[in-house]
Amino acid sequence: MNNEFDRRDFLKVLGWSGTAAALSGCGNGMVENGKETVVSYVETNDYMIPSVSVYFNSTCAQCDAGCSIMGRVREGRVLKLEGNPNSAINRGKTCGLGQAGVQHHYNPDRVREPLLRTGDQGEAVTWDKAYALIADKLKGVSGEEIAFLTGGVSGHLKVLLGNYLDSFGCKNHFVYEAIAPAVVRAANKKSYGVEMPRFNINKAKVVLSFGADFLGAWVSPVHFSQQYAQFRKGVNGQRGVLVQIESKMTITGANADRWLVVRPGTEGILALGIINALGSHGVTIPGDVASAVKGYGKERVSKDTGVSAEQIDKIAALLKARTPSLVLVGNAAEGYAHGSQNAAAINLLNQVLGNVGKTVEAPAIVPFPQMAPATGNTASLKTLNDGLAAGKYKVLFSYAANPVFTAPGAMKFRDNMAKAGFKVAFAHYLDETAMQADLVLPLDSALEDWGTQVPEYMAEGAQINIQQPLMETLHPDTRGMGDILLALIKQRRAEEYKKFDDFYGYLRSAVLNNKSALGSGSIADDDIFWNETLSKGIVKLPGAAHASLSVKSGVAGLALPQPAAIDAQYPFQLIPHVTGSLRDGRHTNQPWLQESPDPMTTIVWDSWVEIHPKRAAELGIQEGDIVEVTGKNGSVKVQAYLFPGIHPDAISIPLGRGHEAMGRYAKGYGVNPFQILDMVFDKETGELALHETRVKISKTGERVIVVKDEGPVGGKQLGQKIVPLMTTDKVNLSKEI
Amino acid sequence: MSLSTLFADYSQFRHRHPDGDVPHNPYKWAMAIDLDACSGCNACAVACYAENNLPVVGREKFSHGQAMHWMRIERYWDEDGREFPDQGARFLPMLCQQCEAAPCETVCPVGATNHTPDGLNSQVYNRCIGSRYCSSNCPYKVRYFNWWDYPTTDNVWPAEMNMQLNPDVTVRSKGVMEKCTFCMQRLRQAESDAKTQGRLVHDGEVQTACQQACPTSAISFGNLVDPESKVHKQWRAQQVDLDKHEQAKDEEPGGSDLRGYRIYEFLAPYPSIMYLERVRETEI
Repeated sequence: MNNEFDRRDFLKVLGWSGTAAALSGCGNGMVENGKETVVSYVETNDYMIPSVSVYFNSTCAQCDAGCSIMGRVREGRVLKLEGNPNSAINRGKTCGLGQAGVQHHYNPDRVREPLLRTGDQGEAVTWDKAYALIADKLKGVSGEEIAFLTGGVSGHLKVLLGNYLDSFGCKNHFVYEAIAPAVVRAANKKSYGVEMPRFNINKAKVVLSFGADFLGAWVSPVHFSQQYAQFRKGVNGQRGVLVQIESKMTITGANADRWLVVRPGTEGILALGIINALGSHGVTIPGDVASAVKGYGKERVSKDTGVSAEQIDKIAALLKARTPSLVLVGNAAEGYAHGSQNAAAINLLNQVLGNVGKTVEAPAIVPFPQMAPATGNTASLKTLNDGLAAGKYKVLFSYAANPVFTAPGAMKFRDNMAKAGFKVAFAHYLDETAMQADLVLPLDSALEDWGTQVPEYMAEGAQINIQQPLMETLHPDTRGMGDILLALIKQRRAEEYKKFDDFYGYLRSAVLNNKSALGSGSIADDDIFWNETLSKGIVKLPGAAHASLSVKSGVAGLALPQPAAIDAQYPFQLIPHVTGSLRDGRHTNQPWLQESPDPMTTIVWDSWVEIHPKRAAELGIQEGDIVEVTGKNGSVKVQAYLFPGIHPDAISIPLGRGHEAMGRYAKGYGVNPFQILDMVFDKETGELALHETRVKISKTGERVIVVKDEGPVGGKQLGQKIVPLMTTDKVNLSKEI
Repeated sequence: MSLSTLFADYSQFRHRHPDGDVPHNPYKWAMAIDLDACSGCNACAVACYAENNLPVVGREKFSHGQAMHWMRIERYWDEDGREFPDQGARFLPMLCQQCEAAPCETVCPVGATNHTPDGLNSQVYNRCIGSRYCSSNCPYKVRYFNWWDYPTTDNVWPAEMNMQLNPDVTVRSKGVMEKCTFCMQRLRQAESDAKTQGRLVHDGEVQTACQQACPTSAISFGNLVDPESKVHKQWRAQQVDLDKHEQAKDEEPGGSDLRGYRIYEFLAPYPSIMYLERVRETEI
């Protein structure tokens, strides 16, 4: 094997060797070359048995958690994705979002050829022309005048991107993930010395979660779901207890033993109140912490948060009695102007309870810092946006981010983007951002492309995930992001990169150059090691070092504001809810996700606003009423759903829907709450405070029938034994299999 | 015979499988679903769409109740009138219960739905005439009717999407009833492989799509007549007998401390899915 093979020939060879890689179609030639000859299965390729499926390992790209997947491939087509049991992250499991990965690949609305816009006109162009155009536009442009926006990237793609930007002396790599836990990362860094420690839900006897939707959409949900299952089984029949504190019930809240509705924004106050109560229950509290929580007696905290004093006592008693516990801080607590303060106060609980080092542990780190995931959120986008507004950038690249859809409307990203001279979008779909670009370059799907991925949340030992094609490209004119970057970097540093025909070659040589560091052990032969790596789909680095936790008392500088008074004009707090299946809306064009009912409301194909039934009754709102939700930055009209799991002073609209572009399954369904968010930022990190938007609601007089899975009886058992409950004092789990 | 005698000894009169002289041999596929582990995340349902060629019907048809989800998550609330659901919600994965004396089978005018020797409630698509009696008679409402010809309906499987269709599973046409098959294509493959090798399918060799995806491993599946299978052990430990419509443990004073139960057991359909009750902590 050598680099003279073209990439697809190479795949066939690997397949033939029986160890790895994808399969060809049914012929000897390439469909895309127009040379396909149909050969009957009487003469199949050696590695292909008609009707027998073969599984190939790769990495799920539907979110950044880095679950390893096995693609079921039959007759050259990938049919289904299963979890790879050998990954410590997902252990053979997948979420619904991951299952829908095949619909990203087979999506009928994918961009299929490079598109160039001239004025109002769009035309398809060749790749040669597209590359030539980029080279032309970059001529005489300095590094400061180039901006490269991406979503979270890691692995060799990030390395290559860094090298490309270096070739211009460009430092403008903006990383933007609209719903990433940016404030929590910063708070963790302060409290524990690392941004993303390992959380051992399975070792905790009590989990106290402040709005961390770890079973739904938070950080690494498939991994946490498995930990959760172990936690529920417990040790010696003592089942783990989950207490969830949040203003809008997530599916994690729906699974809690006690779900406590808290006044939006007062999560930090409650955390300090619990520390105070722990003190009165006889838990030793360090002096500085004790004086910081002195003013947080349970009566005052109860008044501020709406959580009863009796409940605070119960939590403190439980936390004292059952150790170790684990306290988590999620996006519901960080989404405020004082989000950093909230998070610091909540992390303080872990320190007081002695959980650090037990259920909060140091993560393993991949010993290649250049491959570590690049993370960022709205603070980074804001810098880009300000630069664009000032006309600083002549060329803007955008990859794996859709800020026109996800940035608050008040940022005017769409208008500011227009000020860049030349805008290039690398895209799977013509989404809102690609629609604003001058040049759209079509990408291979995640199931057609090569890559490596380093997960931000490292489950056990360090691991690097391998992404490999599960089948040939569906469309002849799409390219892998790595291939495009390599072509672009060759425009700058031809000599250095000419030895790589494609990103595959780059990746292979990069992996083989570090063979021993990647644990090749006794395998001396490059080909054997490479094939093993691909067939496993994961490079595990058991010897990798762990970061060290440095626990700092977060008391210094801790100052929580009084709960905000209710604004008479805008009496409701808007909670933009992150759902497990739609997240920030990048996968909304996958119809399985549109038709997968929201677990809490069972609504499909549309947005809704959740209102507490008590408040709805006061306002005369019934289910299906179209209400107008108006804030300082615009309004949306959306159907009402009466939902008991929400604070009466809050309303919630799910994120992810309301696309104006993207494709047939996304466009025109629902509303986009990102557009009406207030521009309030966390004071310490400068990240967008996602939960700080205040709104009013008014009936429009229209009413629709809410399209949902639940029947008219709506979640009642009517005296039947359908989903009974047993209490822990009765059940004996230790007897179970 | 009075009606009360009929109800008291219903199981004697009910036709059910297996008949005494034809026991389940060597397979009886069954499931156990732990509702304390289930988080209601819907991964199982999406996995089922991927495995079984379920059509996405779109908003309008969904609003007419024409969704085709063989596996669905039902969400229930506590009914104690509290202002907030402060013990969370309750989720229930609902799929065909593969009843041993299935109410759907007896009403089919053409015998399109009947029992297989390995204990499945099967649906023969090319025999089905679309009377929909079976769906009316199903207490679990897990049968789904093809009101439309989905393969030719716009945007159900447009070009390229159709390439994802599982070749091991029939794409159903208009006018037939369909439902969960316990991933029969996987079972048949495993049974046939085992037979070729002169052995029985061993526990864990075959998984249903929902079970394989489930992030909390709430679903276990296997051969109920295999004493080594996890499902068999779970049913035994929970003292749930397949062929009873009242379990002895429920007669104990104060009720049982075991979590296993079957939904609508009293109707005597002898469902093949045992659920394990959700648990809630009393100390908080």
